[in-house]
Amino acid sequence: MNPKVNGQLQSDWGWPIAVYLFLGGIGGGAYTIAAVNWFVGETVSASTAVGLWIGFPALLIGSIFLLADLGSPTRAVLAGMKPSTSWIARGFWIISAFMALALLHLILHTFADIGRTEGGRMILGVVGAAGIVCAVGTMAYTGILLGASKGIPFWRTGAVPVVFVISALVTGHFTIMLIALFYPGVTVEAIQAMSLEAAALVVLEVLAILFFLQAAFKAPDPRESALRILRRRSFVIGYFILGLAVPFVAMLIAYRSTTATGLGGYVILIAGGASLGLVGGLILRQSVLVCGALPTLNIAGFEFRRIARPKDPKPSIGLLPPH
Amino acid sequence: MNQTQSLSAGQPSFLELSMPRYGMVIDLKRCYGCYACVMACKVKNHTPPGVFWSRILKGEAGTYPNVVRQALPVLCMQCDEPSCMEVCPTGATVKLDNGIVIVEKDKCMGCKYCMMACPYGARYSVDKWESYFPDGLELSPYEEFAKQAWEERSGIGVATKCDFCRDRIAEGRDPACVEACPANARTFGDLDDPESEVSILIKKYRGEVLNPEFGNKPKVYYLAPR
Repeated sequence: MNPKVNGQLQSDWGWPIAVYLFLGGIGGGAYTIAAVNWFVGETVSASTAVGLWIGFPALLIGSIFLLADLGSPTRAVLAGMKPSTSWIARGFWIISAFMALALLHLILHTFADIGRTEGGRMILGVVGAAGIVCAVGTMAYTGILLGASKGIPFWRTGAVPVVFVISALVTGHFTIMLIALFYPGVTVEAIQAMSLEAAALVVLEVLAILFFLQAAFKAPDPRESALRILRRRSFVIGYFILGLAVPFVAMLIAYRSTTATGLGGYVILIAGGASLGLVGGLILRQSVLVCGALPTLNIAGFEFRRIARPKDPKPSIGLLPPH
Repeated sequence: MNQTQSLSAGQPSFLELSMPRYGMVIDLKRCYGCYACVMACKVKNHTPPGVFWSRILKGEAGTYPNVVRQALPVLCMQCDEPSCMEVCPTGATVKLDNGIVIVEKDKCMGCKYCMMACPYGARYSVDKWESYFPDGLELSPYEEFAKQAWEERSGIGVATKCDFCRDRIAEGRDPACVEACPANARTFGDLDDPESEVSILIKKYRGEVLNPEFGNKPKVYYLAPR
């Protein structure tokens, strides 16, 4: 065993936080794509209509996972007390603002349908612009939250927020595509346009993750985490191959296919690719979390690495001597 | 409110003159890694399994055949610029005027962000107080007492950490780990007092802090082992 890959990993943030970051990313990403599409002329109307439905519920469900992970969830109302220094407190306000704007946008656009008048379009524009700012803030927050953790060098390379923002856009886009397949009136051309966008975003994510890993390899402590993550089958197979490569190919095939087969021919391809991409996004966040190794402590030329040791099992009651 | 602020400009206040800034010096030449400090901390603070406010790490230096093994006692560094306090969203982590960093358990929501932010790994959180003995046994009277003491003082589902045994300090005693060290490797005192033993040791033997590059300005100093 390589002696440099046996350091103690953080174990306090696991699946619930990974799901929280994942759903936060989906909500922010889907809303951003929907609102930007609306601004550029709503050429892909299904994208806007579906994307607006995703932002608020994704964040709401994600927040439930965060609450479930808290040791004292009844005090969650205190979470926004110190936005001057704490990224969780800042995130509390960013996400709250985003959820309010996403819900308002959904109501105004879908239920009130105010976009038919000039005044209504102006209101939607203001809400959408503010919503995009908060959505981008939400996506970036999921990465900055980790990046501000001084105790885990792997998260502090500066690349985590970049990776998480791009991954948020990718997973948001995949979620839109999955739901858009069942959206009434969606056309093959719209699905093809979305496929091309998704493929381009996946390429961006591959570049970002490579940048992240090469940055991690530059220093000993993050390098250990990078080695750990590359040794994880779930990361290499689940994320890199099934979560990025396969969806990329699926999206390209969907884009290049002839429209003669109709929408039905795309469903398996898009649904399969997008679902795998979503699972990959979750695996990415979970892998980044659980591979966070504690830093080495140094003094006077001595290195003190905190070594991972299995927890001693409790003695069995059957082994105790009789009273 | 910062109680150490001057009450009148130019004149040091009574509080400025009297308020200590507690710190610790650990002489690595003396420490032989016997874990007495670890056990004293556990007994004093009733920490459950897996929680070590005071720990010993083992490290190596040199290349074969000239290799040295060294014990490194670690605890909360009571940093002057604590990253745990910076990231705490609720304001539960505070630095007292005497420099000790504490967690106000009634304000902590248990997000564990401070545990990610502490580069020294000094913080712990437990979901329940566990016995060291097999499941299914009734708690002994000592365990009942320890469980109650832990829940009252530190709490369940919140961040916990070493506080330099501030209840003992209030009684004029040293922290439990200092008192228990058989090699007298630990010295506790006021870093702001140039006549204190800790100040003299740091100055005389060039005390260092762990990983100064973290920028936390720890108040636990180490005297080099060689």
